[in-house]
Amino acid sequence: MAAAGIKLHPSCRVRQEGFGLLFYDCKGPRLLFAATGTLLPADYFGTVRARDEFPAGTSESQKPALQKFVTQLLEKGFLREQ
Amino acid sequence: MSNKYVEMGMRSPVNLTWEVTLACNLRCNHCLSSSGEKACNELSTAEALDLVEQLHTARVFQVNFGGGEPFIRPDFEEILAACHARGIMTCISTNGTLITAELVNRLATNPLVAIQVSLDGARRETCDAVRGDGVFDAAIAAVKLLAATKIPASINTVLTTHNASEIPAMHDLARSLGVSLRVSRFRPSGRGADNWESLRPTPAQLLTFSDWLAKSGDVRTGDSFFSLTTQERQGLGLNLCGAAKLTCCVSPTGHMYPCAFLQSDRFEAGDLRVKKFQEIWDTSEIYASFRNLRIHSCEECTRFDQCHGGCPAVAWHLKNDINGGDPECLERCVTSIADNRLDLAA
Ligand SMILES: C[S@@+](CC[C@H](N)C(=O)[O-])C[C@H]1O[C@@H](n2cnc3c(N)ncnc32)[C@H](O)[C@@H]1O
Ligand code: SF4
Repeated sequence: MAAAGIKLHPSCRVRQEGFGLLFYDCKGPRLLFAATGTLLPADYFGTVRARDEFPAGTSESQKPALQKFVTQLLEKGFLREQ
Repeated sequence: MSNKYVEMGMRSPVNLTWEVTLACNLRCNHCLSSSGEKACNELSTAEALDLVEQLHTARVFQVNFGGGEPFIRPDFEEILAACHARGIMTCISTNGTLITAELVNRLATNPLVAIQVSLDGARRETCDAVRGDGVFDAAIAAVKLLAATKIPASINTVLTTHNASEIPAMHDLARSLGVSLRVSRFRPSGRGADNWESLRPTPAQLLTFSDWLAKSGDVRTGDSFFSLTTQERQGLGLNLCGAAKLTCCVSPTGHMYPCAFLQSDRFEAGDLRVKKFQEIWDTSEIYASFRNLRIHSCEECTRFDQCHGGCPAVAWHLKNDINGGDPECLERCVTSIADNRLDLAA
């Protein structure tokens, strides 16, 4: 069955910092510092999102980098497919 | 290499240690907080719940509860529930003696809790020599109750000279019980300072442990051994002291400190009865001094990029110098063993 979308892993949290997003995984624990600036709001992955869905106002030129970032978050286990 | 994002300063701690009470039914001879009797003027339930709200507003990810024995506080489950209702993850350090099947069943209903049971030896005699008679059996019973649930559970062992040779057996014991092992570095604070010389691991034991740790990737240390970290474990933590940068400590009376091992007037960052949590985090001069701490005496060392001067709390307690460099870092352990050999040869 195809996954409906992606969401923050239940063992993870994220918040906005000056440099961008700070991800925390309590299993480990481990941190991920993402220099995303204000491109993605911290609560963005709090609800299920399609993998290619981004906040309104994201420019076409920003999308490939964000898509790569989402893939990395999935690979590192900070996001999971629902 | 230092972490440039940590250097930029965090809006709030990632996690913090909250010692909810000084009351404890045990009198461990290594106890960092010299726990026993409840402190006068501990935070009331209302004050504790208000603090949880402030931590939520500050977006603190996780609270690590310690003490004293947290389960002695009659309102402890209420404080936990307030954290969980706000999505704050919790980890409880307990001596295990007050853990019952009913308590475990209640705790298991919440996915945001993790529990670490302290056990200071693989053998009953070793553990009970530090923690008191009967504690080993009680702690093992608690671990078994927890392991039968979905609660992430671990055994936490403080490395001392008496249990250093039992650490691999602790690892086997934890595995056989179905939980993970966490080993913490012994710090000279509280009764741990009084009993430092009789409990501290020798440099040779620290080096043996460092080698073993390098091969035991599933053993966690809460980054407390970053001063001994070998290349193999470099990727497993940030390898720096997180005090006042990524973490801090709240005492039973609502005073804030850089870490649990530096709870004295000299290091008080603020009083939660006087100021808000966020204000203390943002404006405390003590916290600012920790964020700017540079261990210049270590900068020439080849391992500086890996350990950044080690644990300031150990340097403070042993050398009375917060900038003094960790006297028990890997490099100094090697040097001290070599010096001993030269002395013997002379
Ligand atoms: C202070 S206790 C409080 C919670 C609970 N009473 C317990 O024993 O787990 C928290 C943890 O700190 C550890 N600890 C105690 N004294 C220490 C010291 N001097 N250095 C490092 N860790 C210490 C304990 O073994 C325990 O795992
Ligand atoms: S280490 Fe824990 S159990 Fe032992 S005396 Fe201190 S608070 Fe109590």
